[in-house]
Amino acid sequence: MTAVTGEAPADRGGVLGRPLDSREDPQLLRGEAAYVADIDLPGTAHMAILGSPVAHAKILSIETKAAEQLPGVLKVATAADFTDVMPLPCIWVPGGVESHFPPHPYGLPGARPVLTGDTVRHVGDPIAAVVAETPRQAAAALAAICVEYEPLPVVTRADEALADGAPQLHEAVPGNLNAYWTCGDRDRTDAAIAAAEVTVELDLVNQRTINSPIEPRGAVGDYDPATGEYTLYASTQGPHNHRFLLSALVLGIPFNKLRVIAPTVGGSFGTKGYLYPDMPLVLLLSKALGRPVKWVDTRTGLMNSTVQGRDHRQHATLAGTRDGRITAVRCTSHANLGAYPSTIGPGVATALMGRSISGMYDIDAAFCEVYAAFTNTVPLGAQRGSGRAEAAFLMERLVDRYASEIGMDPAEVRRRNLVPKEKFPYDNGLGWTYDSGNYRLNFDKAVELSGYADMPTRKAEARTRGKRLGVGIATYVAVCGVGPSTRMSQEGMLGGTWESANIRIHPTGEVTVTVGSASTGQSHATVFAQVAADELGIDPATVQVHEGDTQKAPYGQGTYGSRSYSMAGPAVALTARKLKAKLVRAGAVLLGAPEHRVVYEDGGIHEEGNPQNAKTLAELAMAMWYGWGLPPEIEPALDETTHFDPPDFNYPFGTHVAVVEIDELTGETEVVAYTAVDDAGTIGNPKIVQGQIEGSIVHGLGQALMEAAEYDDDGRLISADLGHYALPRAADVPFFALDKTVTPSPHNPLGAKGAGEIATVPPAAAVVNAVVDALSDLGVRHIDMPLTPEKVWRRLRGESQ
Amino acid sequence: MDITLNVNGRPEQFSAPPNELLVERLRDGLGLTGTKVGCDTGQCGSCVVRLDGRSVKSCLVLTASAAGAGITTIEGVTTRGGELSGLQEALRQEHGTQCGFCTPGMVMALGELVDATAGGPAPTEPEIREWLTGNLCRCTGYHSVVRGVQRACAAGRDEVPAGTTATTASASEV
Repeated sequence: MTAVTGEAPADRGGVLGRPLDSREDPQLLRGEAAYVADIDLPGTAHMAILGSPVAHAKILSIETKAAEQLPGVLKVATAADFTDVMPLPCIWVPGGVESHFPPHPYGLPGARPVLTGDTVRHVGDPIAAVVAETPRQAAAALAAICVEYEPLPVVTRADEALADGAPQLHEAVPGNLNAYWTCGDRDRTDAAIAAAEVTVELDLVNQRTINSPIEPRGAVGDYDPATGEYTLYASTQGPHNHRFLLSALVLGIPFNKLRVIAPTVGGSFGTKGYLYPDMPLVLLLSKALGRPVKWVDTRTGLMNSTVQGRDHRQHATLAGTRDGRITAVRCTSHANLGAYPSTIGPGVATALMGRSISGMYDIDAAFCEVYAAFTNTVPLGAQRGSGRAEAAFLMERLVDRYASEIGMDPAEVRRRNLVPKEKFPYDNGLGWTYDSGNYRLNFDKAVELSGYADMPTRKAEARTRGKRLGVGIATYVAVCGVGPSTRMSQEGMLGGTWESANIRIHPTGEVTVTVGSASTGQSHATVFAQVAADELGIDPATVQVHEGDTQKAPYGQGTYGSRSYSMAGPAVALTARKLKAKLVRAGAVLLGAPEHRVVYEDGGIHEEGNPQNAKTLAELAMAMWYGWGLPPEIEPALDETTHFDPPDFNYPFGTHVAVVEIDELTGETEVVAYTAVDDAGTIGNPKIVQGQIEGSIVHGLGQALMEAAEYDDDGRLISADLGHYALPRAADVPFFALDKTVTPSPHNPLGAKGAGEIATVPPAAAVVNAVVDALSDLGVRHIDMPLTPEKVWRRLRGESQ
Repeated sequence: MDITLNVNGRPEQFSAPPNELLVERLRDGLGLTGTKVGCDTGQCGSCVVRLDGRSVKSCLVLTASAAGAGITTIEGVTTRGGELSGLQEALRQEHGTQCGFCTPGMVMALGELVDATAGGPAPTEPEIREWLTGNLCRCTGYHSVVRGVQRACAAGRDEVPAGTTATTASASEV
């Protein structure tokens, strides 16, 4: 592969930026890591949850006596047991939206009860919890609970929920409209569209999908009556956040009486950052029973209760000139929030999507409006690439449609409209200010690497084999590094979004880094050790990393929005710099040299011009541990913490090119080549980032080709197990051609941008563009995801969508 | 009913209900939690163990039907904290894991492929991908796993793994 071009910083020769092996891997490969289901506290009892079998109904009665008498059953709890427990709050209420729900303390809207006692609003809505001696006994007892329902009409689509006469979900929310939200300049955009030489329009369905981490969620609650303290072990992305929300806002207990521990977490992709009823339930039932209470979800349970993603129906318009200059983009979206506002679902459906729709393009006028509605489906939340993937799909479909309309090569249209390098920082007119970028460099690299110029030849060759070859390009900008706390408060996020790190240099010179973030498989222990080792000029093997336990780690907000490396990473680096500064001050005393002549370098200090007058880090650490002879202004010991709040978000970007072949006989779409050139700023560990990019692309291909959360007319999730919800398998994808550009972010000291999920953003658009390209001579202008063989086969036969 | 299993080379005798699943016995009865439960329906492959050498999904096997069999779980591949097997080492070098939840099942399933092809030609990339269709991974997109198997097979044959050159080159660049 070609060497990195662009604004890559000079190699400092440190350990950061090197593809070190993940130190987490050996224990994962040996099966030794403990996930929540593997935690076995003495005396544990087991919980099962009764979810509603119907999508919408009044509960007339709940009869639990028969269940209580079954073998092993310790308790059957219903809503009546938890009247003093507050509802689970929603903490991201987009700006300008009126909350219709009863408020929590601190002004948060309450969103859903821990258990529902009056009305169920989606299949899986929790009604009762059983605790028994064994998981099987608990599950068996669910069947003995008798619930009498009075069915209510059901609605599962956002646009239908907003129509006159639609079934009503919440008394407090007339018309099911949670939010009408806008961004951009409506008048300017309307005027530009009215005046345009060319306009194109598309109706797009960004279908509902299910993240499907392979580990289902789980929770263990352990109440200690001696101290009054609760401990929650949970498969969570944000133990500190869960601690805050659960203690102060749900249970009404002091913050310092709840400890949350995230053990090894088996994937998340956004879904494990949310509050779910099971979390307060295991804690409350542990207190009630005097035993640890454990709950592990089933796959079908997960699919009917864990937040789902995407789910927009959009009408989109793009305006431009005949010679390929885009002048305006406009979107009206109906977003399906599901039955309740999840912890941050309304923000995902509005700001994350709407402010991103113009992508990598320099467009004079843009406007987006979102109608976010309640329906009888599982609550909506984040999904790998959330919001940004929906936006990229919209824009990149529009650009192809426009290119087709004016008869210009889609690559050329894109090239003409990319934000030029000299315009950064770039205000996209929708609320984001892109920090840095060299889009043209990135774009050209991807197009060249994909062999784009050879596609006509390849198309002709494929036809000789009964295949239609298509090529699709998609570009993206993904807001990441969430984020500046004040900025997020302007977005309606009720909480700080800074990140923290603590570093202790022990008396013997070894180092422990503790971060507020929490890994769900991103090799944090490897990467944060690299950051600390790089700053301190030491061997990363001497650095241990801890996270995930609120009793041991400094406050932090957790892993989401591809933020850990660009938020916790800088916190580690800045903390190391604090320690170095302290060592220089103390070193002046220890070396008997003036402070301005003391230099920290390569894991120790020396006097400038007198290299013999030096101390190693281990010698310094021991001296600081003793603290002998330090002047009063220098505290003993080496223990520092930093809370990092960046000035603004960071904006990774990239260009992907998909090549597909469609079988003329079966309609099957095969991705035969895939090229991705992503720019995640300065990268800490390329091996780990490569893994995240490869996995992200496959996730995006899944949405394009096979994934869909399908509800029937009665609101039942048909695709409620992995036999009915298709995830990509190894044989569904080829190896990818990957490369990168490097544009450091000016918003953090590492120059880092988000990486973890960014490559999930463009693949759906790239693949759909490729398939439409392959079918364009049949008059096909758009085709909805997922691109199942049957759907494509019908289009090959000339049937309309 | 009274059942005997040989698990990781150790005879285990116990009484099990007739409807007990092998994965329940391994995890809850024998404390071998390296075997994971991801889907309950035999789709994800996180629970794969070797039964008399063949990889099986232990959520689809009744304990009773395995009576008398030799079972190898991930705990039987290496000792705790011990040296990795050749396959595990190759997967480590290719970072064939992220969250690691599906990993033990993959190691067990892929171990059979590596064993079955030993002494013959190395499996091709499509063969490895086909073999992997019983194991779902949501993090890695499988690429690093496929490269790991190629590396493991090449190590036994003293050759450069076919098809990995381009991707490995980009690995240092990304």
